[in-house]
Amino acid sequence: MSQNASAAKAISSTETFFTIDMPYCEQMEIRRTRFTGGDGPRGAVVSGIHGDELEGLYVCHRLATWLEQLLATTPEALLGSVELYPALNTLGLDTLTRGLPVFDTDLNRAFPGSAGGPLPARLADAIMTALAGASLVVDIHASNIYLREIPQVRINQEFQGLLVPIAGRMNLDMIWLHGASTVLETTLAHSLNSRGTPCLVVEMGVGMRITPDYCDQLVAGILSAWKEQGVFAPGLTLPATSHTPLIADDSNVHYLNAQTSGMFVAAASHWTDVHRGELLGSIVSPFGGSVLSEVRSPVDGVLFTLREYPLVYEGSLMARVMARKGGRP
Amino acid sequence: MIRNLLCMTAPVRDGFDIPCHELGPTFSHLSVALVAGLHGDEINGIFILSRLADFLNGVEAGKYPELRLVKRVLIIPAVNVLGVNQRTRTWPFDKSDINRMFPGSTGGETTQRIAYAVLEATKRADFRIDIHTAGIDFEELPQVRLYGPSEAERETAHWFGLSAIMERSTSPVFTTTLKHSWKVWPGQSFLLRVGQAGTVQLEHCQRVFRSLVSFLGRTGVLEGVQLVADDEEPFLFNKASGFRVFAQKAGTFVSDRQVGRWVGANQEMGYIYDSINGNVIEKVLSPVAGLLTGIRRHPLLFEGDLILRINRKG
Repeated sequence: MSQNASAAKAISSTETFFTIDMPYCEQMEIRRTRFTGGDGPRGAVVSGIHGDELEGLYVCHRLATWLEQLLATTPEALLGSVELYPALNTLGLDTLTRGLPVFDTDLNRAFPGSAGGPLPARLADAIMTALAGASLVVDIHASNIYLREIPQVRINQEFQGLLVPIAGRMNLDMIWLHGASTVLETTLAHSLNSRGTPCLVVEMGVGMRITPDYCDQLVAGILSAWKEQGVFAPGLTLPATSHTPLIADDSNVHYLNAQTSGMFVAAASHWTDVHRGELLGSIVSPFGGSVLSEVRSPVDGVLFTLREYPLVYEGSLMARVMARKGGRP
Repeated sequence: MIRNLLCMTAPVRDGFDIPCHELGPTFSHLSVALVAGLHGDEINGIFILSRLADFLNGVEAGKYPELRLVKRVLIIPAVNVLGVNQRTRTWPFDKSDINRMFPGSTGGETTQRIAYAVLEATKRADFRIDIHTAGIDFEELPQVRLYGPSEAERETAHWFGLSAIMERSTSPVFTTTLKHSWKVWPGQSFLLRVGQAGTVQLEHCQRVFRSLVSFLGRTGVLEGVQLVADDEEPFLFNKASGFRVFAQKAGTFVSDRQVGRWVGANQEMGYIYDSINGNVIEKVLSPVAGLLTGIRRHPLLFEGDLILRINRKG
């Protein structure tokens, strides 16, 4: 199909792709927005699987802003199509609940689901059906409410051959490769990748908040990846990308878990270089003036995870430091 | 004897412990480990194990002269202590499910440390039993659950004397559970499902209490138990024998049926009412003749909710 032909029919629409009756009066509906151009590849973004993670919703808004502008000015440049699924766990998002309310279930542990049966299984199945065949799905997660993360993509080593080259163009700061044994098979990403639909899991920021700079960074990366796949015309000008990811795996990521319970107060800034032995924070008691525990970096590296919520139990994760393996200058 | 399985600090209150009962000959090999309360709202199991601890303490104190506890038994009535006290299924601080944290680790998150301590204390036992309930919305007939069992486990499951033994294949969902982590260790593992969460169902609890005493008798852990013939033959149900009925419509479900009863095909099992207008919108029928092993107890239904589980003989 010619670009002019696709220009003639480039449209956007918001539609409901899943409904289910609730006990009293209401229906639960899940919506998506589609930007349809030519017959080229189909890119998709999903977010809000966890109802307390909002970063992806803002990414969808920023992508929609950019795509609406594209359709208004140069619709012929949309050679394929784009689908945005900003709020997969609508009930959770509307009630500030991480899991699926009523069912007390983590939606991201319900995949691939099934066409019949209770809501979590049906919803998971509907999402799988809707996303099947996409050229690339980006599943955006914020961190939880306890930790702040730099923009990163997490990849199961089982699929790294296909996904790492795509992730390298996503304008993110880190690619974290996870061993197959530590990956949960009931997630959306694992289910899609297992069925041949490439899916990248992006994690960034913190729960219940948005980090606009991170979101815009990711928007530029997603657009770049889609252009590479042919969703957009080759000559289309995109927002600039400038981030090259560091590579992390089990060998260079160091976890700092609380030695005792109390209140964690950070001494270092998130997303900075730290040195071995450097003070990253302290655990203090509100009942006295003493410091209960000091938290120091075990290596020279990058402080890519830092605790946001101050109270810690013995064992709570306070920080993660990645020893550099090269990549980012 | 009560000892603390694990003592941990808390941010602004006293530390907390996970107490357990050590019973039988000290320093001998651990024969039976019983665990409940991995989920804080599953009170049937907590009640059963606390009652069993009281009973076995009585045996050791000579209260039942005909009985003798000859092998060591470990009982952990509740792992998720904070969850029990706050009436939550998960670990209240970060809402993580302790039964998705196994095998755990000594240096990881709080719930991973708890999981590690529970696994370390129980994994070498000859027989390991983890007691659960269904959720707060559903009631299940007391049953033995087997996931990819060995032939020995399939045989031993009959020693509980419960009327239903459910066999399932292993699933990726369960690879981080205590039951799954036990699998790599010698010995036999069982999961019991008893009733529904959020309450004590005395009849179910008494039934399972008797089944555990019977089990301890048959395994030679508790000598002197008068083993009686089971009231009815336990049935081994595989997945193919199970029929589930899902709500075709949302609304309010009402039923007076009891789990553990045999029902006929097309027997009336309950009604779904329109929640606003009050009219009957669906008559729920049994799809087959069989044993009613599970029934919806929370009346409010989403479209697609599980209402009944019926298992057919043979």
